[in-house]
Amino acid sequence: MWSVLVSGLATGALFAATALVYNVMFSTSKVLSITTGHIAMLGGVFGAWFITALGLPWIVGLVGALVVGAAFGWLTDVLAIRRVLARSDEHLWLLSTLALATMVQQAVGLWWGTEPKPFPRLIPQDFGAGITDQKFWLPIVVAVAMALGLELFYRRTMYGKLFLAMSEDAFAARARGVPTDRIRAVSYVIAGALGALAGFAAGQLTFAYFALGLTLTLNGFIALAVGGLGSNVGALIGGAALGLLNAFSSYFVGGEFQQTISVGLLMLVLLLKPEGLLGSKNTRPV
Amino acid sequence: MSSAGTAAASTSSAGDEELPAESQTGVDGDDALVAARITKRFGGLTALDDVSMSLRPGEVHGLIGPNGSGKTTMLNLLSGYYEPTSGVIRCRGEQLGRATVQRRAAIGVARTFQQPRLLGALSVLDNATLGGWSHSRAGFVATLLGLPSVGTGDRALRAQAAELLHGVGLGHAIHRRANLLEHAEQRFLEIARGLALRPRFILLDEPAGGLTASEIEHLGGLIRTIRNAGIGVLLVEHHTDFVFRVCDRVTTLDVGRMIKHGTPTEVRTDPEVIRTYLGA
Amino acid sequence: MKKKSAALLVVGLLAATLPFWAADQYQLHLAALIAAFWILIGGLNLVVGYTGQLSIGHVGLLAVGAYTFAILAGPEEVHPALAVLASGGLCGLFGLLLGLPSLRLPGFYFAMATMAVALIVGEFIMANGDLTGGGIGLAVPSFPAPFDSPAGFYYLVLGLAALVTWCTWNVARRMWGRGLIAIRDNPVTAQAVGVPVFRAKLKVFVFSGITAGVAGAVFASLQSYITPDTFVFELSLFFFVCIIIGGRGSIVGPLIGTMILTALPELVAPLAKLGNFFYGLLLLVVVLLVPEGIGRVFEVIAERLRPRRIESIPVRPDLDRLTRALQRPR
Repeated sequence: MWSVLVSGLATGALFAATALVYNVMFSTSKVLSITTGHIAMLGGVFGAWFITALGLPWIVGLVGALVVGAAFGWLTDVLAIRRVLARSDEHLWLLSTLALATMVQQAVGLWWGTEPKPFPRLIPQDFGAGITDQKFWLPIVVAVAMALGLELFYRRTMYGKLFLAMSEDAFAARARGVPTDRIRAVSYVIAGALGALAGFAAGQLTFAYFALGLTLTLNGFIALAVGGLGSNVGALIGGAALGLLNAFSSYFVGGEFQQTISVGLLMLVLLLKPEGLLGSKNTRPV
Repeated sequence: MSSAGTAAASTSSAGDEELPAESQTGVDGDDALVAARITKRFGGLTALDDVSMSLRPGEVHGLIGPNGSGKTTMLNLLSGYYEPTSGVIRCRGEQLGRATVQRRAAIGVARTFQQPRLLGALSVLDNATLGGWSHSRAGFVATLLGLPSVGTGDRALRAQAAELLHGVGLGHAIHRRANLLEHAEQRFLEIARGLALRPRFILLDEPAGGLTASEIEHLGGLIRTIRNAGIGVLLVEHHTDFVFRVCDRVTTLDVGRMIKHGTPTEVRTDPEVIRTYLGA
Repeated sequence: MKKKSAALLVVGLLAATLPFWAADQYQLHLAALIAAFWILIGGLNLVVGYTGQLSIGHVGLLAVGAYTFAILAGPEEVHPALAVLASGGLCGLFGLLLGLPSLRLPGFYFAMATMAVALIVGEFIMANGDLTGGGIGLAVPSFPAPFDSPAGFYYLVLGLAALVTWCTWNVARRMWGRGLIAIRDNPVTAQAVGVPVFRAKLKVFVFSGITAGVAGAVFASLQSYITPDTFVFELSLFFFVCIIIGGRGSIVGPLIGTMILTALPELVAPLAKLGNFFYGLLLLVVVLLVPEGIGRVFEVIAERLRPRRIESIPVRPDLDRLTRALQRPR
């Protein structure tokens, strides 16, 4: 029973971290990018590659994964967002991020292979560690740390405040001389690094798997919608709720209905409280 | 029918009467578009405070006032984009409080927008014909199946729209893509689209914005022609000279309250109106 | 207008006579595949290209149609014609159930909901192995004579595809087409003229469900064996790209897009290996460079070559004509 709880919280933490990444990108661009789940996938895959295939120490592997994630975040902004936001057609970015997500997933599939490959142990630990296994608490610690870090970032740092200004009113921010294009690029780089960190931390749980991106994009989005777009605490709550729901329904009913149940949760919340548990009514979701 | 009398309809009429005194003639209640004692609040902001006005068929009614006076709010209330916080909107006796925007089209209330809202990907003719949507009896399934009545009905609506386009002066651009139109053409296209609805009332939201003097003259001619056809025209505008030239009645708002209502002459010479809006 | 009708006519003639000039069975099979895909894409075109609802999960409906047909016409021994109708009807119902809660949601939410459906269908197929054969898949019966030969079956699928083309063309050129484009480009305008936005979206979505179900049925019969791997999510992407590349707001554009994109991996071998990466890349290129579709590119080029100077004629109302127009009886 405890193991179900812990594993639910762990996958929930990955969902929550993805929701946080969504928030960071949304705050400066008002875009929900389909590539969000793929950033974590890249973190896991490249982390495994650096450590296992190249034999690098795990710290270096981590930094490498962060760099890859940051680069992909930057690439998302440059390719899929920048030119598209300039045009008037509202939902073009949905198509461009979908296209980019497909490309990266297929490319990784061709290179890395289509089977999930094991992610290495980061800290020496027995495999029979049960609920104290690092594959559970690594993602949880990282997700909570990310949420705290982001709150500090928004409240205490100049860049964080600029992010907030842009998310309130990008037009006014630009009128005040805020370099919105550069800030958006920075936010996507940060989002990329954070997503890769989440994927790296959860690698032992999910394995390094090229197709992780799409389901994570969906589940991370469900966590986001349930918790409320724009709320970091909401992301944690939404992720935990989804992860626990999945884990317990698997335990009692069997794992075949996970997706159905997750979407059921999403629909229920959207019908009852469309802005999510902690979202504000003013945040207009796209 | 259009005599407003000298009774200055005001917000301080007795509490049990819903309509301004001068509209108790019965003409208003039957076939007018009526806003009775409308208050509209957005959070802490009161955009309209106990304002009453009516739009009769076959009249041009101007609505003027400085920015933030509530003109656009009133227009949005009449056309169904907002619901009043209190008060009643009625059209030909039917209460419209919670009715959708689409219901307005069905009962014959058309409107234009401050910034023209056209479908750039479609032709001018298609844009205008779209105004006749509520008169198309072609359901989705009937259209899919290609029943002959669908084609006949559509051709008739297109023909009517074409006549309206010629009437407003866009005959030379009928097949042009709408995103290639100049500003005046866009505004006149919106009016044609509104007329394609075969409305009883048409609400114009600052239609003179961005027009040259001669284009405004043409606009005036259009409005008079529309009125003579028995359609009630609400004209929300900043070009006060134009309003006084064209309108039969004028209502002036300021910070959400009505300050004067009457004939153009009465309003133009009212000291309160001059003080708050027209300038010394 | 006339040029498009002429193009359609030529395509129609070529298609109708294909079995006589096709080089081999394989080309006939490919043409039937194109027609089967077009049955789905033609219906989806109304949803994506005209109403602007970005549904990325239609592969799920294709799968439902396919499996329904395979199960009914196979183990249940229902006549294939009835099975096709059942597939269409069931998927139409799915469209209704999916559309009711999702079509009110903003764009991204809606897209995610449709994507989730595709994944859920995949889950369901795997989970109910005794019904669907699970990972092993199902054999799919073919139609009875005269549709059991390659040419015969081709004509069946072609006929259905022609029907879908005709139906959607009807919608496109009549008032409904304008209304749908209004919902896509300016919902405020759509409301103002009285278009019932949600109900319209729902009707179109249900129609796209029906066509997806029928497409699934004939697709399954064409493949003669289906597994869950046949219905990967990237197939939805493929449908999408066909529509976007052909241009939104057009029937002919996505039709040509479907023909080219289905045939391309067969004709250009290296592309087959790249597979879905190629579709992603293509979608990205189109979105960045020619978001209005390839058709628009041709229009722009034509205008550059033969510029039609638009003279600036001042607007001059004809008030008599206007008066007459306004006096038509209500």
